[in-house]
Amino acid sequence: MASLLQPDRVVYLVRGEKKIRAPLSQLYFCRYCSELRSLECVSHEVDSHYCPSCLENMPSAEAKLKKNRCANCFDCPCCMHTLSTRATNIPAPLPDDPTKTAMKKAYYLACGFCRWTSRDVGMADKSVASGGWQEPENPHTQRINKLIEYYQQLAHREKQDRDRKKMARRRQCMPLAFSQHTIHVVEKYGLGTRLQRQRPGAPISSLSGLSLKEGEEQKDITIEPAPALDEVEPLPEDCYSRPISLPEVTTLRQRLLQPDFQPAGASQLHPRHKHLLMKRSLRCRKCEHNLIFAHPIPSKRESQVLLTLTNPVENITHVTLAPCEDDDPDDINSTAKVVVPGKQLVLAGKDAAAEYDELAEPQDFQDDPDVVAFRKSNKIGFFIKVIPQKEEDADVTVSFKIRHDFRNLAAPVRPSEEGGAAAAPAPAESIWLTHHVELRLGPLAP
Amino acid sequence: MKNVNYVTVKIAAGAVVCVESEIRGDVTIGPRTVVHPKARIIAEAGPIVIGEGNLIEEQALIINGYPENITPESEVEPKTMTIGMNNVFEVGCVSQALKIGDNNVIESKADVGRNVILTSGCIIGAFCQVNTCEVIPENTVIYGSGCMRRVQTERPQPQTLQLDFLMKILPNYHHLKKTVKASHNAS
Repeated sequence: MASLLQPDRVVYLVRGEKKIRAPLSQLYFCRYCSELRSLECVSHEVDSHYCPSCLENMPSAEAKLKKNRCANCFDCPCCMHTLSTRATNIPAPLPDDPTKTAMKKAYYLACGFCRWTSRDVGMADKSVASGGWQEPENPHTQRINKLIEYYQQLAHREKQDRDRKKMARRRQCMPLAFSQHTIHVVEKYGLGTRLQRQRPGAPISSLSGLSLKEGEEQKDITIEPAPALDEVEPLPEDCYSRPISLPEVTTLRQRLLQPDFQPAGASQLHPRHKHLLMKRSLRCRKCEHNLIFAHPIPSKRESQVLLTLTNPVENITHVTLAPCEDDDPDDINSTAKVVVPGKQLVLAGKDAAAEYDELAEPQDFQDDPDVVAFRKSNKIGFFIKVIPQKEEDADVTVSFKIRHDFRNLAAPVRPSEEGGAAAAPAPAESIWLTHHVELRLGPLAP
Repeated sequence: MKNVNYVTVKIAAGAVVCVESEIRGDVTIGPRTVVHPKARIIAEAGPIVIGEGNLIEEQALIINGYPENITPESEVEPKTMTIGMNNVFEVGCVSQALKIGDNNVIESKADVGRNVILTSGCIIGAFCQVNTCEVIPENTVIYGSGCMRRVQTERPQPQTLQLDFLMKILPNYHHLKKTVKASHNAS
């Protein structure tokens, strides 16, 4: 399929806020609006967090506590691959009898790609397979935590002052407006626990939160400013003359992946817990429904004039192709004229069991051999004529419209008119969809 | 008079060399070495001496060939290619290095050029092409698409378990080449 190896050859026009041309594999289809949507026409929302190696799902609150890192999996500090735990047998004295030694299993972390092991940085082997690995403590953690507390308190106090002023001015009208404004301010220092980001339109119950806080005791936190030093440690004398041993120095990428420590030497590169990835959910901006992925309709083969159409649904689809009109506003890229078959093409339904069924009945479609090249289960190959307009064209592009019928089987069940308990689904109606397709055929042969 | 190459392949006792492997030219294979079927060891421009305990997997190509495949018109002195002990040549690799030490691992589809000298404990990562003119220091790991390098603290372990297993199992399923004691060949 063109989508895997040459994604830009067949592009579809998406009529969203902007007109975007994208290959089908990067597009989505909204069942409710019956239109194509691209990544820019949908809103992304965070669904859940998961670890890419152990696939453990965790809710967003827990992920925030763990700083978006997985508890079990580690990343190699050298090549950022996933570390695996390996075991060796070491002789160790038995707890009962110190004179005899028995084989005990010792575990260490190793990278399969760059062959880094935890022994390289001096981490001792652990006796438990998982959970024994400690991340090194950041020496500045205490100071950072204190600073964060102080600033959170400061932000809260500012917010209270601001709200008090505004409440004095406007008592009851527009409680929504200033609360939304204060959310913005409070989020500055990450205090968003009580004031979570709410959907626009939903009432915000921040007022109740405020009154509670006033009753509590306010602990005054003071911080000392960072001391300024007069004397800075001088550079070592052989800083410029000492030859650098490259294997011992960390690369910038390795160093910056650990912003707490930023080790300059490779012997201080400790493994970090693996970063979690987010599962997004996409929401169509117009109808606020969740989307599904686009079903691949046409795919393009290598030859210039033979196109294939694949039908992914199980019922028969009728497809009509039409050339673009002369003054079509969407037709800006085509450099060649195209003559498409005028007749309607019929595609058989997708039958998952067809490949196993040896005695399948031959499909009985009357195909015009000038138009249809071959037909195989739910695929069809047909010819179009391309007439290049320019003499030497580096990239021949044609565009045309494809019109097909689509039956929305997954549409929401509409209640029947009698209002019975078991509502029978309304028979799915076919609708005709039109897409604007552009094909990049490549350079003209001399 | 032109010297006819006495084409004997000398396989020591204890080595397991499958019949489906292609060995051409003056090749000496040490004991406890396993050569998988479809491996190719070709000694064109000089003899090849392979030590003990090596593991040469399928479709590996160890070739002592003329540089850039051009056979010189005049007689060039043949250079011997030496391979040490406990090396592993993984599937599909190509090795033309004239001198390979001990405990090296050349991973799948790696390509080692003629002017490279591998010392000990080196690991050439999968699909890495190394054709510089240098001696790779000990315990170096070459990995990644940019052939990044780093030094590891311990050398890779010899594959004794795997070798023992193969020496037991391969004769059950493949015919083996007969062992020939290294004999002096009269010119």
